[in-house]
Amino acid sequence: MSDSLSNLNPVTARRAIRVLRPDSPDQAVSLARQFSASYTAGGTWLQPTHERDQCWPETLVALNSSWPGFRGLDAGPNGLTVGALTSLAELARQALIRDYLPPLAMFLNRVAGPGVRTLGTVGGNLIVGGDLSALAMALDVRVDVINHTGERALPFSRWLRERASDDLLRGFTIPDCRGWRISLEKLGYRERFSPTRATLACVHDGDRVRLAVSGEGGLLRLVATETFVNDRADLASGDVGAVIDRELAAHGWQDAHLRMALRRMTTELLSEVALGT
Amino acid sequence: MELKPQPGMAGTGVLERIEGRFGYATDQHHLPGLLHGAILRSRHAHARLLRVDTSRARLMPGVRAVVTAADVPGLNRFGIVVRDQPVLCEDRVRYEGDAIAAVAADTVEQARAALEVIDVDYAPLAVVDQAETAEQMSPLHGESNLLAREAFERGDTDAAFARCEVIVEHHYQTPRQMHAFMETEGGVAIPDNNGGVIFRVGCQSGHRDAEQLADILGLKPSQVTVEATPTGGAFGGKDELTIQPAAGILALQTGSPVLIHLDRFESCRTGIKRHPVSMIMTTGCDRQGRILAHRVDALLDTGAYASLGPAVLENFLDHATAPLYRIEAYSVSGRLVYTNNGVSGAFRGFGGNQATFAVESQIDALAEKLAMCPMELRRINLRTVDEPGSRGQVVRWTAPPSNVLAEAGASPLWAPAGSDLRRRWLTGTGMAMGAQGNGLGDGLPDSGGGRVSLTAEGRIRLEFGFSDYGQNLAEAITCLVCETLGCVAGDIDVVLGNSRGPDSGPTSASRSSVLIHGVLADILPRWNDCVRDQAAALTGLPRDQLHSGPGGLFAGGRQVLSYRELAEKGQPEQTLIDASQAFPVAPEGNQPVGRYLQLQISTVARVAVDRLTGRVRVTDLHHITAAGRVIYPPGYLGQIEGAAIMGLGMALSEDMPTRQGHYLADNLDQYIIPTMQDVPDQRVDVLDNTPTTDRFPVRGVGELGIEAVAPAICSAIEAATGIRVRHLPVDAGYLLAELCAQEETCS
Repeated sequence: MSDSLSNLNPVTARRAIRVLRPDSPDQAVSLARQFSASYTAGGTWLQPTHERDQCWPETLVALNSSWPGFRGLDAGPNGLTVGALTSLAELARQALIRDYLPPLAMFLNRVAGPGVRTLGTVGGNLIVGGDLSALAMALDVRVDVINHTGERALPFSRWLRERASDDLLRGFTIPDCRGWRISLEKLGYRERFSPTRATLACVHDGDRVRLAVSGEGGLLRLVATETFVNDRADLASGDVGAVIDRELAAHGWQDAHLRMALRRMTTELLSEVALGT
Repeated sequence: MELKPQPGMAGTGVLERIEGRFGYATDQHHLPGLLHGAILRSRHAHARLLRVDTSRARLMPGVRAVVTAADVPGLNRFGIVVRDQPVLCEDRVRYEGDAIAAVAADTVEQARAALEVIDVDYAPLAVVDQAETAEQMSPLHGESNLLAREAFERGDTDAAFARCEVIVEHHYQTPRQMHAFMETEGGVAIPDNNGGVIFRVGCQSGHRDAEQLADILGLKPSQVTVEATPTGGAFGGKDELTIQPAAGILALQTGSPVLIHLDRFESCRTGIKRHPVSMIMTTGCDRQGRILAHRVDALLDTGAYASLGPAVLENFLDHATAPLYRIEAYSVSGRLVYTNNGVSGAFRGFGGNQATFAVESQIDALAEKLAMCPMELRRINLRTVDEPGSRGQVVRWTAPPSNVLAEAGASPLWAPAGSDLRRRWLTGTGMAMGAQGNGLGDGLPDSGGGRVSLTAEGRIRLEFGFSDYGQNLAEAITCLVCETLGCVAGDIDVVLGNSRGPDSGPTSASRSSVLIHGVLADILPRWNDCVRDQAAALTGLPRDQLHSGPGGLFAGGRQVLSYRELAEKGQPEQTLIDASQAFPVAPEGNQPVGRYLQLQISTVARVAVDRLTGRVRVTDLHHITAAGRVIYPPGYLGQIEGAAIMGLGMALSEDMPTRQGHYLADNLDQYIIPTMQDVPDQRVDVLDNTPTTDRFPVRGVGELGIEAVAPAICSAIEAATGIRVRHLPVDAGYLLAELCAQEETCS
């Protein structure tokens, strides 16, 4: 393990932060527990968050993308495994993404800006409820997590409920979704590099529709809406709007205008996956 | 004529900026003994200062000086119009970000660490955060929170309204917009070892700033030099003093250069903004569409200090009179109030574009009520070039307004949008017009000078006091000089923004190009005569056979003397020629109101509105400009297109709302400016009917491009959706709700 104080930036004047550089994932977990420290990879979310609050952590545990399984994509019998330290830009370039998730490569242009995509990681995006989290939720990805008790794989949605402070995300596995119909839509304040108002993911696995949303109201699997849609089997029905509105409102999506947009976006995406457009 | 970018059009200066190689004042980290300054800002929007204890800060590592109000050597106040803003607050803070103390230390982190141990006790006061009720609140200054009230009247408005067949009345609201320049406020103050201070800063008026700084520092004017270095954007946001007073005081205290450079958080929090305006506009016309009466009641929130607020109010009201249109009677009034909502001041457009947004929206509203084409309604009411301006003053256009309108009517953007826009997008095209005057106007003292000389090295040196904050004045000047003297860019040095040089007045009010052209027209022929005289003496050739050209003096088609040889053998010191001229105003005897030199623009906008979300995408902007002769095409394009993008931001996404005097956005991830992906295709046409003999063929276009963008976009949104937006920025949620209501009505 190496231990260094970060270089002081003469312009931003950030305080010195002790950055621990563990040799292995296990050591990373151990150090995170020992120092009550956060993990850091791309740092694109931590940096502005801490800078805004002027509340700098004393210690960070830097993750290493060369650790096995932490970076890159691997197609296997269980689906497509994505290392958590794969950058967003790298993800967009991967041919496997075009095979498994054709809309994602284009969609990634709307996630953050080029600089953030170069540094920011897929894992970081998931953990902060970023644009990819709605898709991960709708795809029912399984996450691969390491903590002081060992390693485990579990559904993303369950992990969010049970997550421990020292949990280290190694990666996640997307089920073999080739042939599924997937639609993604982001609503922001401008065309690119916008804070997310809402990202909506709609997945048709050949049998059932799955819906999830992330953004201002938080990450949510739209269970009631899914049930309504799948039981009705009329994917473009206008009635779905009232259901999604109730579900969103019940889960903290307070902005009525935003819910109105999500109702219409959902109808549109349902129509797309139903028609295969 | 369409003005198109051409290969090679941009000079080296432009490329240096684009590639990030250009050196700015805030890059001067190499100065020997440089200290870093930081400013303690108020945490409260309004409070009494009970105690400011700097004792712990003075003991912090690396700290060389800590200063408070007690350390201001001279006048602890600044402000271009009203000196009401403390350099460092004595006993009261009036906005979140007011300066309380400043520190100089070896490193910026030491300076900021010292700020954190300055103990300040506040006694919070009631916050004045609503402009509408500000006058009923306890005053922030003097006797009242009403800083200024102004009204322009023409004719009998009540009687004119009584004759109107159609009257429209609407409430309009414009946002508190931030300049969002690339380079935040900063610069360095350097002791001159003789008791004085040299400032190298990003600012807009070196001479004016030097006067204020001398008063603040308790120095003679001759002891303060301001070098207004090229700046990464200003747009009015660096017209007022920013970091200079604190840097100057710290430099005098320590005897060392002190650099202060605000980070983006501090810039957002403390920088001045565009005045938010709330206004009710009432306009009436007869059955034929002739506008008879117009009434405006406006309220401008200037924030905690006056800055240029009173001048903004005047320009707002000037534009609120609808200067392009012939209106029988109007009553236009506005109030400017103090609040604890930051500070508002100069911003490209200077109040005019806020008024134009409402005026043009009113024209569209009248047309709708008359069931008349909005362009036809405009045509009926547009002034001719022979008519006086809206305030009865003589004005000078560069093209008939009806021609500018006709060109807009012929825009290709009126054709239906392409089929690539899918069914979810509603598309529409709209237009608006705008007028913009050059100069400070209203009879304010306005003049500027420049200088030409041959240096000892044989360079043709041009000096002006203007600042370069991205408009690339140096290349514009170079173009004019090359055109006049026949020399090449490599022969010329341009020196800008030094308060020791000629005073050109502020770099604002779209006045630079006018004065530069005027001054050069005066000094270059005289300078040419001077060097030809010297060349004739040196070569023995008749003066009439000599003319300046690339690299030197020519006769009979060949160079007979280089500029370097002329400098070495002649008397270059005698080639120094200064001139100053008053900014062009209406001929003598006319009332000095408004502005004499007028420009026009028609902007045609095409938008796509997302049926699902209400989001607006501006796909195209077509500007027809009548702003005189183009002397520097990249600058002209850059100004019109750049200003239009700022107008687009104001229309669609930019606002800095406050709650209890606290800004609700603190950086550019929360304050949403357009990115290049939001920028539409733009076309700039130039319509110039200025005769070659015109004395003022060149006009300043720094603000023209923003004038009509917002109303054009809102007109296009209305064409796409049937919904007129009158509060900016456009709220996608509001638009969506209205669309849904429409659909329900239809179904």
